[in-house]
Amino acid sequence: MKRVLIANRGEIAIRVAKALNELGHVSVGIWTDNEPEAAHLEYCKEWVHLQGSSNRETYLNVPKILELIKKYKIDAVHPGYGFLSENAEFSRTLEKNGVTFIGPNTKAIEAMGDKAISKQWAEKAGVPVVPGSTGEVPTVAEAIKLCNSIGYPVLLKAVAGGGGKGMRPCYSEADVKINFEAVQREALSSFGNAGLLVEKYVQNPHHIEVQILADKKGNVYHLFERECSIQRRHQKIIEEAPSPFIGNDEALRKNICETAVKLAQAVGYDSAGTVEFIMGDDRKFYFLEMNTRIQVEHPITEEITGVDLVANMIKSAFGDALDFKSQSDITIKGHAIECRICAEDPISMLPAPGKIAGFETTFPQGIRFDHCLYQNFEITADFDPMIGKLIARGLTREVAIRKTLNALDGLLIDGLKTNIPLLKVIVAEEAFRGGHYTTHYIASVKPQEKVSVTESEVKLMEKVASMEMGAL
Amino acid sequence: MRYYFVDQDRNDTVIDLNRVVKTENIVSFQFKDRTLHTRKLAGKLFGSWDQVSWFKLTQIPAGESVSSHATTYKVYRGFKPSGLFAGGAGALITQMPGKVVKVMVSEGDKVEKGQTVLILEAMKMENEIKAGVSGVIKNFAVKVGQALESGVLMAEIEEE
Repeated sequence: MKRVLIANRGEIAIRVAKALNELGHVSVGIWTDNEPEAAHLEYCKEWVHLQGSSNRETYLNVPKILELIKKYKIDAVHPGYGFLSENAEFSRTLEKNGVTFIGPNTKAIEAMGDKAISKQWAEKAGVPVVPGSTGEVPTVAEAIKLCNSIGYPVLLKAVAGGGGKGMRPCYSEADVKINFEAVQREALSSFGNAGLLVEKYVQNPHHIEVQILADKKGNVYHLFERECSIQRRHQKIIEEAPSPFIGNDEALRKNICETAVKLAQAVGYDSAGTVEFIMGDDRKFYFLEMNTRIQVEHPITEEITGVDLVANMIKSAFGDALDFKSQSDITIKGHAIECRICAEDPISMLPAPGKIAGFETTFPQGIRFDHCLYQNFEITADFDPMIGKLIARGLTREVAIRKTLNALDGLLIDGLKTNIPLLKVIVAEEAFRGGHYTTHYIASVKPQEKVSVTESEVKLMEKVASMEMGAL
Repeated sequence: MRYYFVDQDRNDTVIDLNRVVKTENIVSFQFKDRTLHTRKLAGKLFGSWDQVSWFKLTQIPAGESVSSHATTYKVYRGFKPSGLFAGGAGALITQMPGKVVKVMVSEGDKVEKGQTVLILEAMKMENEIKAGVSGVIKNFAVKVGQALESGVLMAEIEEE
């Protein structure tokens, strides 16, 4: 039995606490000054206070987290996603203090955490990469020179980026001039590192990623692929497993999954991780990056393989045997779709903070809802707008779509704007239903224009009745 | 009882609740021309227009913000507060809390409609705040690094 600190909040802290409890470890949750009613504490056996309000003062503050570790005799830390999950300095500090970091070894984080270095590793391992700069591009003049030689369109990306933050496409030299400084600023404020990369922007691309799970004995397994091509602002909103683009091309599936394993083996990977690829319409794929953490969309892989990724990630960190013995134990059963529920305007797709006035769910069979919602929960501008993940599983893709639509109808969140109306439009839309879409889906199909804005007086009458009933 | 639902563009919708009738299990709300029946079951609230087909309602405290489709409304019961509807097309007002990261213009500058005036960072994302009209910047009230609440007047543009 280990004492494990969860250095995160929101739905992922809940997910990790559930896995720890199930394995018989002690889940230790954190609360901060700006979120004293943190929803994840409900699932944690012990609650500890991390003083401060901003992320820099709390979830990103290594010395303060180290103090908590010593004070509460913590054996291991699960970082969730975001925050310190891919911070090699943090994992090294833990190692020095004899504390287990539930994630890969520091060397693997370092190898994959920096996009420029990870690309070099991929090339060495014989994994195809997208043409671009071999390292950081320090000045706008050098960026322009490089972009002109690669050919437009190009992508400006933060070296330390992830989750779609800190990257912008440029279609001309003028775009590079405009965006260079902005991406630097975003990179500095989000990741504390202003370094930028330049690379070729693949047209009509599919975002396909392979889930990896490895133990400390050198065994690297894959849990097949996910397709995450429905994105806005380069951030995923709907993911599915398996990929509808790969479909029943088993040779391609085997090729991309084994390529991912090859890279993970090359860097001595020993935890849960994801190798992301970009695949063109020609079915050629290139390595994008490797995320050395558990990902937001991990549930769809869990749903189609039956493997509990978070529990096995924890087992791997403690050197325990995984739940399966060989690659052939892992098979795809059915299809799963995840919709990210975000506090944002469904039409402009911009974050819309607010307070949850009311919240209800009525779901069909086969629905999983990973969330941190409760009545009066305040979604502030301090955190990412994602507030929950709706996951539907079905024997076929068609069934999973049917269940997703039904579940979105049964998910009521009142008091603030959410992207639920947009998700409904996308999942019901023809191109999505047919499985024919690329990462440009939002920009080309423009589903946001089909979101209903007709304010219905009947709906407002329901609100009046509801408020009056509360006062009775 | 009169309810005012005010959206972010300051348009309001009025809903008049005329009568509330309580029976043993059901509370009925009579509006101008329709009646909504409500019923609590296992701690949840349900609504029906015909007492046959029932649907779940969210339970919301009075006076909060509510949402319907793609709109959120502030709810006022019985009265409409004055001074809520200030600001013309030339007023740049924050739509969400954020931090000023870059200022592109200064007081007295001429700007074109659609020109970026400043950049506001919220939820780790940069948002370009653009001029809604062409004109001259006056009352430039913010500076770089400043954290702003929602609904704050950042600058005014005097139309030409």
